[in-house]
Amino acid sequence: MFVVDAWKRSGYFRVGSIMLAVLLAIAVLQPWLSQLALQNPDVSPMSMGTFEPYADPSLRHPAGTDKLGRDMLALLFLGIRVSMLIALIAGCTATGIGISLGFIAGYKGGWVDAVLRTGTDMVLVIPSLPLLIALAAYLPTISIPVMSLLLAAFAWPFTTRIIRSQVLTLKQRPFVDLARTSDQGDMSIIFLEIMPNLLPFLGVSVAVGMSSAMLAEIGLQLIGLGPASINTLGLMVQQSVQSGVLAIGKWWILFAPVSCLIAFFVALNLINIGLESAFNPRLRSVTGD
Amino acid sequence: MKPLVSYVITRALMFVLSIWGAFTLAFFFFHLIPGDPVSAYLQQLEQQFSQTVDAADAAAMAAEMKARLGIDGSLPEQYWRFLGNVFIRFDLGPSFINFPKPALEHILEKLPWTLWLLGTSTIISWILGFVVGGIIGTFRNNFASQFLINFSLVISQIPSYFTALFALFLFGYWFVLLPTKGAYDPGIEKDLFNPRFLLSVARYAIMPAMAVVMVGVAGTLISTRSLVTTILGDDYLQFAHAKGLRRSHILMRYVLRNAMLPQITGLALSLGFVLNGFYLVEIIFNYPGMGSLFLSAIRLLDYNLILGIVLMSITVVLAATFIIDLFLPLIDPRIKLND
Repeated sequence: MFVVDAWKRSGYFRVGSIMLAVLLAIAVLQPWLSQLALQNPDVSPMSMGTFEPYADPSLRHPAGTDKLGRDMLALLFLGIRVSMLIALIAGCTATGIGISLGFIAGYKGGWVDAVLRTGTDMVLVIPSLPLLIALAAYLPTISIPVMSLLLAAFAWPFTTRIIRSQVLTLKQRPFVDLARTSDQGDMSIIFLEIMPNLLPFLGVSVAVGMSSAMLAEIGLQLIGLGPASINTLGLMVQQSVQSGVLAIGKWWILFAPVSCLIAFFVALNLINIGLESAFNPRLRSVTGD
Repeated sequence: MKPLVSYVITRALMFVLSIWGAFTLAFFFFHLIPGDPVSAYLQQLEQQFSQTVDAADAAAMAAEMKARLGIDGSLPEQYWRFLGNVFIRFDLGPSFINFPKPALEHILEKLPWTLWLLGTSTIISWILGFVVGGIIGTFRNNFASQFLINFSLVISQIPSYFTALFALFLFGYWFVLLPTKGAYDPGIEKDLFNPRFLLSVARYAIMPAMAVVMVGVAGTLISTRSLVTTILGDDYLQFAHAKGLRRSHILMRYVLRNAMLPQITGLALSLGFVLNGFYLVEIIFNYPGMGSLFLSAIRLLDYNLILGIVLMSITVVLAATFIIDLFLPLIDPRIKLND
């Protein structure tokens, strides 16, 4: 399994996946952790005025409370869960689109490839944040799945390019020729011969998809045009910037969500570097192994 | 000479076609967003001047405004009219902001700020990343190089608005060294030949530029280092070593020179993406550039201005790739024209 290989071969991968695992554990255990932090099963982390506003970090509130009297730690757990969920759905959807288009373009070649490649390049050229801002501003309601799909709609071109270039080189390999001369069908060549070689790249593209979805999500929220009903980490950053916590010296309210997000980006990036250096010998020099 | 001519012609055609294609996608995308900006604008005017206009007059006003904005008639009609206006007469039509001030004027007012802030910081980060990347690629096996490359790998994917927030906190609020908002001191007369004004412009740009540079340096540094590592393995460098040339000489004359070419492509591309990437840094610092302009345009659903800005970014990116495509074969003899 490629994950085990990557784990053995790359220290970057080990560090990145441990970081991601911790975040994932928080996301999964959120309901329980949040009760632990709030010490009251009836209160939701989102409900306002539960505690005194702007309390400093203490044993009772390890990360303090925000302007609306919410416990920051419980809110943070919820934020990690929601952001992770959105990033996962968006990353996987984008990868799904990317795989399909990348395979069709790379495997079919010819005019199909030309059309798909030009289309992909055009989408890459159009600035995506403005489009997202516009969409988000004029959609009546945004739920978690809608948000994820919106973000996925702009994260697929990158995957398409990676998969296409890999398929292009793989389909020239002797084992694919062998499969073709032994009269295997296209589908069986794609799924049995080419796809297994692409698994590490799929890992890379899910990770890239997730971080670009995350990036876009924060962008949207920072501008204040994202949905205010979904408590993502991006929304927490925006709310603390909005209420000027830096100016009143309550910097931890801003840096709690920011550090979680940075941990998330760094984890995904390390996983990427690890996968690339373990499976792409030409890129091994990047990390100097 | 013949292959060169046909190469230039195909590239130029592709350039024009891509602009048109991307523009068309963007046009229909923004026009399919539901919303009636004209009525919203008129209502806002009514509230602002506490006037009530009766329905018939309001409808007439709306129709007149739509006609002047060029958003009356069916969508295909609007599309062809807009296309003709933009590409033949370079006219984007009026904008909602200070109606009927032309959208193009708004853009031209804000463009210099964005170009100054982001263009300068992109170039600075490229130079820094290139030089440092070259050095740590050549001298790989010491603690400082290892630390630098790992640090860059870690921070290279952090979005620049986070570094912006950190800079804001550290230098704006903690040490109170630098101004936190705007592009120049409003107390100083705005005059390009006034040294005090220029100084304040530079001072206000330090923090946002720093945020962009930090992340940008990391990217260039990583790619330069890996390029240098590959080049160092080449035969002609062994020969240079065997001749007994000094290491600094080898670094300057052989390594960095050969690493320069692909990196210049990278610089051109990132300059092309300048208008795309850093809206948020501008917004965090309230910098009066294209980012803030775009945000106000979106809030009003000001089609002409939105499309103008999008068209501008598309054109700049595509022009950057076009120029690279044109000049690389001239600079680099290894690239064959019929590829």
